[in-house]
Amino acid sequence: MKNTEHLIRLRRIFTQVVEAIVIGLALYASIQVTQPDFVKLITAAPKARQVLRELLAPDLFTRESEVVTVGVALPVPCGSAPEDEGRASGPRLEVEPKCAAERETVVVRGEELGKGVQVTLRWRLPDGNTLGIQRLVTDAEGNFEVRVQVRPIVATKGGQSARIEAEVTLPGGRITPSQTLRDVTDAMFVTIFMALLATTLGTLLAIPLSFLAASNITRRGRVGALVYYLVRTLLNLIRSYEPLVMATIFALIVGFGSPFAGILALVIVTTASLGKMFSESIESIDPGPIEAITATGANRVQVILYGVVPQILPDFLSFTIYHWDINVRISTIIGFVGGGGIGDYLSKRINAFEYSKAGTALLAIILVVWALDFLSAQIRKKLI
Amino acid sequence: MLRVEHLTKIYPNGTVALRDVSFEVPDGEFLVVIGLSGSGKSTLLRCINRLIEPTSGKIYWNDIDITSASPSEIRRIRRQIGMIFQQFNLVKRSSVLTNVLSGRLGYANPWLSLLGVWPVEDRQKALRALERVGIADKAYQRADTLSGGQQQRVGIARALMQDPRLLLADEPVASLDPVLAHSILQYLEQLNKEGVTVICSLHFLDLVHRYATRVIGLKDGVKVFEGLPDEIDRTRFKEIYGEEAQEVRAASL
Ligand SMILES: Nc1ncnc2c1ncn2[C@@H]1O[C@H](COP(=O)(O)OP(=O)(O)O)[C@@H](O)[C@H]1O
Ligand SMILES: [Mg+2]
Repeated sequence: MKNTEHLIRLRRIFTQVVEAIVIGLALYASIQVTQPDFVKLITAAPKARQVLRELLAPDLFTRESEVVTVGVALPVPCGSAPEDEGRASGPRLEVEPKCAAERETVVVRGEELGKGVQVTLRWRLPDGNTLGIQRLVTDAEGNFEVRVQVRPIVATKGGQSARIEAEVTLPGGRITPSQTLRDVTDAMFVTIFMALLATTLGTLLAIPLSFLAASNITRRGRVGALVYYLVRTLLNLIRSYEPLVMATIFALIVGFGSPFAGILALVIVTTASLGKMFSESIESIDPGPIEAITATGANRVQVILYGVVPQILPDFLSFTIYHWDINVRISTIIGFVGGGGIGDYLSKRINAFEYSKAGTALLAIILVVWALDFLSAQIRKKLI
Repeated sequence: MLRVEHLTKIYPNGTVALRDVSFEVPDGEFLVVIGLSGSGKSTLLRCINRLIEPTSGKIYWNDIDITSASPSEIRRIRRQIGMIFQQFNLVKRSSVLTNVLSGRLGYANPWLSLLGVWPVEDRQKALRALERVGIADKAYQRADTLSGGQQQRVGIARALMQDPRLLLADEPVASLDPVLAHSILQYLEQLNKEGVTVICSLHFLDLVHRYATRVIGLKDGVKVFEGLPDEIDRTRFKEIYGEEAQEVRAASL
């Protein structure tokens, strides 16, 4: 009695040890094969931080800048030309004194130019040429004050005095979508419509196939059974291929970066997947109404339209919307393998190290996927 | 006149559901088929309109051979044969009116019916049929919002749309409580009085006595009784339902 108990416990311990060894070996093998470099994950942190910072600062908007040039005349020497009265308010330039002799130093003041704004200060010579003085930035009140030496070259010529000009890039211009945002939006629309087109075509193909692959509709007689098994096998075969692999192959055929490759791959995947889902929905319908409508003398198409369609319509709509949602996700990725759309844009920006543009694309993907997910859930809730 | 000759049905799995069954149903009769569950009643009724293909034997409807009719011929025969079911077999998501109209499919223009377009006469006929079974006010509701008794009345209205000359009723009241059973069977009785031949399978013997003009008893696919309702005495009853069976009356439930 005691002995057998002992034996059983020993055997249990033995099997547990064996299991532990097997699991250990499997883990060791997988590490050997994939060679994960965990150290790298830490040593690469500074680089990762840089990339992340750019990714998290997506390029979305630009401020439309307004360039304003203000100026003031400076007759050299005094009396050689009229002096400027100067404006009392608004962006303006003042000079003190209002005229000067050669080699004197004057004080130039910029007023109400906007705070922290880049100013390029220069001479506009009587002959129309310019001569740079310096670049500066306005203070917190939007003013600046700088001393400028009057050089002989700025002397009045033919009754025309030189002017001091400040070119100011004024803030307060309208905020507009950046070029990147516009490109991303365009690419996103390509992706959404790619998914929409693929879902529509896929659904249209899936509907007849699903009836052929439904045992309660097709598996009647020898021919029916043959068709049923053929279509079902075909759908299963196609479903076992990854859309990415298929998109790559199509991209090789019709050209990289073309949405057409992505659409082809998606249509096939959608057809197979919806065909299978639809056929299961058809197989689960109540046979009673079909029997009843057949008994009225209706033909086969009438039986399907009056007995089958009302039973499957909500399922079909809900599956189709769900698959559109899936297709948008897949088609964002499909661009990476040459399928066009937002994925194509994203992969190109990443390859060009333009991470903030990539960040814009990522943000767009997240928003669109989230919005569609929400939308499709809402619609599907209504259908049930 | 319906004539069934040597009807046998063997299902693909080998079950013999009907074995050499022969009988005749003169026009205007209310024939009730009785028998235990599994005795072959449903199979028999479905062989008559070829929802089930008989294995051998012949069925003649006014001297037309149903069993060898082509697909288009069988559709023309079916549209004169109404059928109602134990589970009502309505399309639950469709409206009551659409369910009733579907009874007219055998007569309808195939293309228009596929578009869901129905002639005004058909719509009026459907509303009249619903009026006749007392649920005209439910026409635009979804079928599954109706109670069991109301659903079976929709089933009858659907059969009425066929202008049937024969009505097959497969345990039409087995899913309803006994009080409702009479109200449904009275509609069938009314139709029968108007000249529609009725073949109806039933469970409860008192219903048989009340409505049948003639009775057929099935046991394990074999016809073990044919006669008038009054001829079913205790011995006959035991023959049909087996030794240990008790006579169950709808009224006693
Ligand atoms: N589709 C089918 N395949 C195989 N056997 C069936 C099928 N339908 C009915 N049967 C069998 O045939 C016999 C008669 O069934 P049925 O006609 O439904 O009897 P009832 O309507 O009197 O209950 C039963 O034994 C049943 O199990
Ligand atoms: Mg039955």
